[in-house]
Amino acid sequence: MAIQLKVRQLCWQANHKKILHNICFDVSQGEVIGIIGPNGAGKTSLLRCLTNQIKKTQHSQLSGSIFLKNKALHHYNAKQIAQCFALVAQKTAPIFSLTVADIVKMGLIPHRNLFSIHSDHDKEQVQLALHKVGLGHASHQIFDKLSGGEQQRVLIARALVQKAQILILDEPTNHLDVYYQHHILQLVKQLKITVIMTVHDINLASQYCQRLLLMHQGQLVCDGSPTDVLTEQQLSQVFNLPCLLEKDPITHHPRVYFSLAHPNQRKHIKGDFNA
Amino acid sequence: MHKLSLIIPLLIIVTLISLTAGLSFGPATMTNSQIFNCIVGQCSDKITDMVIWQVRVPRVLVALVAGMGLAIAGAILQNTTRNPLADPYLFGIISGAGLGATLANIVITDSPLGEQLYIALPLAAFLGALFAIVIVVLIAKLLQRMEQLLLAGIAVSFMLTALTQFILYFGEPFATNRVIFWLMGSLSRVEISNFYVIATIVLLTLSIIIVLHRQIDALLLGDESAASLGVNVDKLRLLMLGLCAALSATIVAYCGGIGFVGLMIPHIVRQLIGVTTLKLVIGSALIGGSFLIWVDIIARSALENAEIPIGIITSALGSLFFLFIMVRTRNSA
Repeated sequence: MAIQLKVRQLCWQANHKKILHNICFDVSQGEVIGIIGPNGAGKTSLLRCLTNQIKKTQHSQLSGSIFLKNKALHHYNAKQIAQCFALVAQKTAPIFSLTVADIVKMGLIPHRNLFSIHSDHDKEQVQLALHKVGLGHASHQIFDKLSGGEQQRVLIARALVQKAQILILDEPTNHLDVYYQHHILQLVKQLKITVIMTVHDINLASQYCQRLLLMHQGQLVCDGSPTDVLTEQQLSQVFNLPCLLEKDPITHHPRVYFSLAHPNQRKHIKGDFNA
Repeated sequence: MHKLSLIIPLLIIVTLISLTAGLSFGPATMTNSQIFNCIVGQCSDKITDMVIWQVRVPRVLVALVAGMGLAIAGAILQNTTRNPLADPYLFGIISGAGLGATLANIVITDSPLGEQLYIALPLAAFLGALFAIVIVVLIAKLLQRMEQLLLAGIAVSFMLTALTQFILYFGEPFATNRVIFWLMGSLSRVEISNFYVIATIVLLTLSIIIVLHRQIDALLLGDESAASLGVNVDKLRLLMLGLCAALSATIVAYCGGIGFVGLMIPHIVRQLIGVTTLKLVIGSALIGGSFLIWVDIIARSALENAEIPIGIITSALGSLFFLFIMVRTRNSA
């Protein structure tokens, strides 16, 4: 598969604190990549760098390179970047009562010039995207009044209208119940576009991502398939918790269990789980 | 869309009715046909012609565009700062204008330029308002937190008010009175040239908003989300703030302090029409214009042989409106 995104020696230092250090990885077209790691590992910061949202100031130094289709990201203007990356942020709370259609329509902004007028074709695109995420009936509903899962789907519909080649999701399953966690990730997987997302739930990441990036203290500790990345030793070190690894009997993906119990007690934990 | 295509023509009709009503009220008694004849250039006598063209028409037209301008400024500030309480006056504009007017009164009255006060006062008020906005933006920029513009505005507002009051306390009583009355707001001194100036800025602001309305809408979901759609958040916010400052400062300079219009009207429009920028701004312009014409009618006709400062009425209506909103929100909760 063609390489779509290259990250080389990416470092970000803010207020004399290393946020990201020497990050290198490639992203191929159509890959679904999960970034995992403890709080403060630099997952969201990495996403912000990828979407060019970090400003270089006196207190914020950014170095290294990001190449999008073999061209350095800083050679793209903001509109071009918005045509390539669509971001679904961790928390979106509009202050006023915007409708679902109002929000999805925003995805057209990078593709319109200042003087263009909304056409019937735009309306069709919005409706089509809403149908794709299963919310074709909800275009006039108020965004605030939807459930967390429905709100995430609206934002994914906006990303679809944005026609981005790479979908960036920051904790898409946060605050969602089990049904919506699986529903959203299944939906994301079915879109057949490149997806880079941060995920707190390692088992969900293992089940839905082809590739995982494990981060710790601003560094990329491991990059590979869930089977390569999710090892007891690595996870115990990064999360500072004893951990146990099993193969999920249904999905056959690695399944991780953490416990505060001492490593010597692992056998008992395993026994408990098996019982 | 159907709702919008019904409400906008209705609001245009209300605006036309308000303009007609504004022309009909006043101390000089005139019949509707006399007013109509004067408007179409067939005035029966010179006095009626003078009253219509030199007093009532400028006053009604300035009320229309001032109401439009203040409501548009409020709507834009609320959407660009994502704060439903944002209002041109909370950004230090009125206190800056007050300081400018105070300095003009105190400094110029005693100088040979004293006779030029009718030009100097609005000019100084305009410069004072712009000065306040520049300080607010500089503070927010220094803190590298443009989202805290409103807090910086409140701080600057208090600082400039304190400075104004200090100068007035030691000032000459006549000049002090003049500033205080000016700050209460009135349309009794306006001329047709004021209408042209305010209308030009209102039209310019409206044109820029029509072009940028989608970008402003993107801000409603937060800065990060807007930036991810290719919007240059800081530049857009600064441009909008500059436009609102120029708009409010011009209105304050000619009409004095007229509070609550920018805060109240967008709240009504959101309930009636919608929250996205284009709907909000067009609705605010139409309702704001009509609102100020009617407030001016009340100001002229509520008391016999006296005029109530317009700012007192808008503030009283504004506070009642917010109490009503609070009660309604509580009941619906």
